[in-house]
Amino acid sequence: MPFCVSLCPYCDFVVYAGAAARGPNARTGAFVDVLLTEIDLRADAADATFGRARSPLRTVYLGGGTPTMLPAGAIAAILDRIRSRFGVADDAEVTIEANPGPDERGDAMTLVSSGINRLSMGAQSFDPALLRRLGRRHRASDVADAVSTARAAGIGSISLDLLYDVPGQSVAAFAASLDAALELGVDHVSAYALTIDDPDAEGLTGMTGDHLPTTAGARRWRARATRDQDDDRAADQYRLATDRLGAAGFRGYEISNWARPGHEGRHNLVYWRREPYEAVGPGAHAFDGVTRRWNAARLDSYLAALAPRDRARPALPPGGSEVVDGDVAAAEALILALRLDDGVPIEAADGDPFEPVARWGLRTGLLERVANRIRLTTTGRLLSNEVFARLV
Amino acid sequence: MAIPQSRVRNFSIIAHIDHGKSTLADRLLELTHTIDARQMTSQVLDSMDLEREKGITIKARAVRLEHTANDGLTYALNLIDTPGHVDFAYEVSRSLQACEGAILVVDAAQGIEAQTLANVHLALREGLTIIPVVNKIDLPSAQPDVVMEELENVLAIPREEVILASAKEGTGVPEILQAIVDRIPPPTGDAGAPLRALVFDSHYDPYKGVVTYLRLSEGTLHDHDVIRLMQSGAETELLELGVFRPQLVPVKQLVAGEVGYVATGLKNVREAQVGDTVTTVARQARQPLPGYQEAKSLVFAGLYPVSGPDYPLLRDALEKLHLNDASFTYEPESSVALGFGFRCGFLGLLHMEIVQERLEREFNLDLIASAPSVEYRVNLTMDRGTVNVDNPAKFPDIGEIESIEEPWVRLGIVTPDRYIGSLMELTTGRRGTFENMEYLDPQRVHMHFELPLAELIVDYYDQLKSRTQGYASMDYEEIGYRAANLVKLDVLVNGEPVDALSLIVHRERAQATGRALTTQLRKLIPRQMFEVPIQAAIGSHVVARENIAAIRKNVLAKCYGGDITRKRKLLEKQKEGKQRMKRVGSVEIPQEAFLAILRMGEE
Repeated sequence: MPFCVSLCPYCDFVVYAGAAARGPNARTGAFVDVLLTEIDLRADAADATFGRARSPLRTVYLGGGTPTMLPAGAIAAILDRIRSRFGVADDAEVTIEANPGPDERGDAMTLVSSGINRLSMGAQSFDPALLRRLGRRHRASDVADAVSTARAAGIGSISLDLLYDVPGQSVAAFAASLDAALELGVDHVSAYALTIDDPDAEGLTGMTGDHLPTTAGARRWRARATRDQDDDRAADQYRLATDRLGAAGFRGYEISNWARPGHEGRHNLVYWRREPYEAVGPGAHAFDGVTRRWNAARLDSYLAALAPRDRARPALPPGGSEVVDGDVAAAEALILALRLDDGVPIEAADGDPFEPVARWGLRTGLLERVANRIRLTTTGRLLSNEVFARLV
Repeated sequence: MAIPQSRVRNFSIIAHIDHGKSTLADRLLELTHTIDARQMTSQVLDSMDLEREKGITIKARAVRLEHTANDGLTYALNLIDTPGHVDFAYEVSRSLQACEGAILVVDAAQGIEAQTLANVHLALREGLTIIPVVNKIDLPSAQPDVVMEELENVLAIPREEVILASAKEGTGVPEILQAIVDRIPPPTGDAGAPLRALVFDSHYDPYKGVVTYLRLSEGTLHDHDVIRLMQSGAETELLELGVFRPQLVPVKQLVAGEVGYVATGLKNVREAQVGDTVTTVARQARQPLPGYQEAKSLVFAGLYPVSGPDYPLLRDALEKLHLNDASFTYEPESSVALGFGFRCGFLGLLHMEIVQERLEREFNLDLIASAPSVEYRVNLTMDRGTVNVDNPAKFPDIGEIESIEEPWVRLGIVTPDRYIGSLMELTTGRRGTFENMEYLDPQRVHMHFELPLAELIVDYYDQLKSRTQGYASMDYEEIGYRAANLVKLDVLVNGEPVDALSLIVHRERAQATGRALTTQLRKLIPRQMFEVPIQAAIGSHVVARENIAAIRKNVLAKCYGGDITRKRKLLEKQKEGKQRMKRVGSVEIPQEAFLAILRMGEE
């Protein structure tokens, strides 16, 4: 869902903001129509490959950008189309991402009646100064309002995103945000180190790339922010999150994710378990177990392909794909599984590539053995790339 | 059609970097129709990628121009291109020896520079005719009068000899061609005598074997001759004989005074070294020509493959490159920290950088260079003689050393006079002494210093350029050894001495250098899984210490369906970074750290 009211300078999701997102010239309406077309085309392809009697989806995730700011009825229409073309299991997890601001969080009752049962909200921080620095529009108090409205509407599982390693954010300030989140009684917390990337330098922003070019303002902001980041402070903040959330009954089931029992994000677990998933929308990635494919990020070419002029037949949008198999697939599976707190079975450490790395990791305390499994320790999570870079 | 010796001219171009030598060469090629206008690229003669990137000439190169002069006759003009940088004085002198004249190109806006002065003196010593050209007169900032005054003051070149030109626009270029014909004498040498031809350069061609570049002093060489290299004793039938236009064009014969090439078919580079004399087997010359003085290495450093198994590749690469650039030396050495590699001697720092880059590019190697050093003379105690040491790691123990001598240079700097104070401070701060200075024109001076070479090779040139906004230029020549109060400073990383980081410093500056070095290393060595102390020590006495705290965070916080591939690539990049590092004990040290000494001036 490539729209937000405004751009946050650290974010490199595919997002169009400002007049494209809201107001008389908004492109959101046209986008939703076209998205429905892509759902149809993807479903047609699935029908052709697997037949119509497929097992229904176990999870649905509406995210990237701010889907809750789409026009009324859009979410219902999208979910209806997914339901009719792919099928959605009765007990499926259906998540929507939202921003907490009153004009961007959507109407909770409508969301619930559309079938949403999980809300993931970008709180980021409860510190007003820090929210401003991050370019966030909402106030700290908006988060509480959004959570209580969602609860009242009957949303059963609520997650908050929090950021650490933000320039100017003390360990104490992060602790205060963690406490504020816990006080709201949420079910799930994702705590991310502020990650400053350069998708242009990574070559991801070409015509068929899955990212948009970084704006000049964002580039300046990132350059400044990078200078103010501090690995030592970040490590302290991460350990603090591990301790506080653990004490509050949350399980750190993934490097950056904590949940009360039963509230783990099932959709994201699909990614980490390297299970297949379908995806639609600009910049979206899908995976069928072997091939990873993505749509290009640019909205114009996305719209042009799916809603061509001159009554031409809609075509799938531009994008790319790669086949991931052999050693690369094995390494990827290992790395993704090690992000989770149940790690990998001990047998995974028989032979290359993991055996020498596992031995080294166990010796240095980055890995630990629990029953018949090997997993990252807390130190190991903070230094997980030291392990992973030895596996790729 | 053979051109008689009386209509052959051999010349080179002396110019400072950016004063327009390559542009002038391009114009000369164009004007004489040596190169088709459609094939014309800029810097035609600088065919190495590195040369085009850096805008400099590294290798001498030759080209034959055929020009119909005012008298209606066709002349063969052999342009032997020369490098302009101070490090390559050796190449310059070789080129000059193959010429009877030189075009001196001076930028009309910049004036004469230090290296140009040095090269002109070199040319005058060889007895060459100088054709002075003031170039870039089209520039708004051009001051041809001031520059002509400089030439008159400094080199006693009369104004009326100077040709005003703009190589860019082509003005003055026909006059230059005519001056080459009129002023430069034809080569001498009896075409009927037994052949003597000096090898002034060479390159290796996988099909033609060693291709030698020749200047014929006496005799005639035919394409069916069997030749003999008088020093190596190698004999071979010619595969090809030709001239440079500038690509290799076969000819039937070359006569005394001419410049050309011979494809020898020889596979062993040592059989056809630069400086050897070529003669014919059928009619051998009695005496070889006096060859070249061997290039004198002033700067030494170890070159090591990043990955140990590449050592044989590096050895082959050095051997091949050496044929093309005989001015560096190499011999095997081993380092505790870096494994097996080669101790190499270079003409200067730029030369070192270029050799390393050429090895990496042309032979696809990944190399680590240790910090550059000069060659010290260490007099041992109890009259056990003197050893030459060009590697700080090989320095004798303090107890063995009676005294140490180090090489000094005489340094010439041409600079606008407003920088005199700053350059005084820079140079005396590096143990240099001021000798004297003279004004070239009302604003520019030629300063002379004496300075230990070791102080020059660190980052003196960079400092000179940055303190003068790039306006100063320099040249230096070696003036012998002087006693010095020096000590060896060792560096210990995590308690282990890293031999490749040892350096020789003046005793009084040992502590300050140790501090600067450890500080720099702390920045250059990434945090490891454990705390790493870095110490600088003289013998067992630690003079400086820094700690690199253990790494605490290296994590990809977010990893979802949309960025698994991206994150995998980031991890692959980290892995490559690690592989490029050198493991010393249990510490991974990046390549840059071994050159930390060059960056101590940076903050």
